[in-house]
Amino acid sequence: MEAPPVTMMPVTGGTINMMEYLLQGSVLDQSLESLLHRLRGLCDNMEPETFLDHEMVFLLKGQQASPFVLRARRSMDKTGMPWHLRYLGQPEIGDKNRHALVRNCVDIATSDNLTDFLVEMGFRMDHEFVAKGHVFRKGIMKIVVYKIFRILMPGNTESIEPLSLSYLVELNVVAPAGQDVVSDDMRNFAEQLKPLVHLEKIDPKRLM
Amino acid sequence: MGVTCVSQVPVAEGKSVQQTVELLARRLEALGADKQGTFGVDCETYHTAGAIGTQGQTGKLMYVMHNSEYPLSCFALFENGPCLVADANFDTLMVKLKGFFQNAKANKIESRGTRYQYCDFLVKLGTVTMGPSARGISVEVEYCPCVIANDCWNLLMEFMQSFMGSHTPGIPSVFGAKHDSVYSPGDTMVQYMELFNKIRKQQQVPVAGIR
Repeated sequence: MEAPPVTMMPVTGGTINMMEYLLQGSVLDQSLESLLHRLRGLCDNMEPETFLDHEMVFLLKGQQASPFVLRARRSMDKTGMPWHLRYLGQPEIGDKNRHALVRNCVDIATSDNLTDFLVEMGFRMDHEFVAKGHVFRKGIMKIVVYKIFRILMPGNTESIEPLSLSYLVELNVVAPAGQDVVSDDMRNFAEQLKPLVHLEKIDPKRLM
Repeated sequence: MGVTCVSQVPVAEGKSVQQTVELLARRLEALGADKQGTFGVDCETYHTAGAIGTQGQTGKLMYVMHNSEYPLSCFALFENGPCLVADANFDTLMVKLKGFFQNAKANKIESRGTRYQYCDFLVKLGTVTMGPSARGISVEVEYCPCVIANDCWNLLMEFMQSFMGSHTPGIPSVFGAKHDSVYSPGDTMVQYMELFNKIRKQQQVPVAGIR
């Protein structure tokens, strides 16, 4: 998920609640090329887009039991892009028929002094990583295939090592609340990627 | 944006806030300035509930400001701290953060008024209000072609003297830190924040509000 240019972000005058619908899966390194080939065929015709992003996750601990999490992301290979600040809410406990994970999301483009500002607000960095991969689009759906790299020395994005021998595949849509038909479209698209990759609704809480 | 100076003009003896604004407007129009719509700058205050204990920072104030000149942006700043420029969704984020940052609604302060263009200058005369009461007058003067503060301060000052007379301000403190770096909208918002803080501390204008 590279930082989207500001002109592509929805202009919300009031506080329209946007939700992120998410399906995730993974492929081993050896299967990457066949997956990319399939995606190039299925997705919108556009220049193949790669990205190299550095994401930092900040926590604000307060009186509440669970800290507030914010994600700050910057592009390492594209100059002049704004930083991307993202808030993701708890996954909605919907009916079992809903095919995708749904959670509230707020996306904000910011100037590049974001980390200093978050620290001033009281946030502290919990962890960081580098994400390198490809992004595809089909209509309002975004498909991202990327590898996560661990940063060996804090703050030094030059020395990184892959976290695993696989690529993470995510299919997501950001849409206003209440548009559950979106998850049906996502499921239909995910069907077309089988058996190369199985995209599923994965509840992060069940993994912990 | 060009180099900008934001200052306060005191209310004239025996006159109301509105009358003083009209006086300044007439002087500008006599110079040859053209009215070009309206402007608004507002500022909301948030109290932090205190950061992580180790640093002992309690009760910091965060200001979230908007400027009609940049309708899709939101400026968030700390006094003597960084100024973040973000898009309008930042306000939505502050709503999510209401468990950690309380909005001191009574402290909301804004300046609204008319924009005037005079050659390469943009002048904004605003009435500063807090709730229903008018608390003062703000004057923002921008010299659009120049982005290096120290290169055009003398010209700005000379222009301001032509309609503000003895109320012309001294060099803004934000210019001091700039040296030769490019002036940005964040610097204007810092000046407005300082002005609003000064006005908040002043006695309420004795003549009640706008007639």
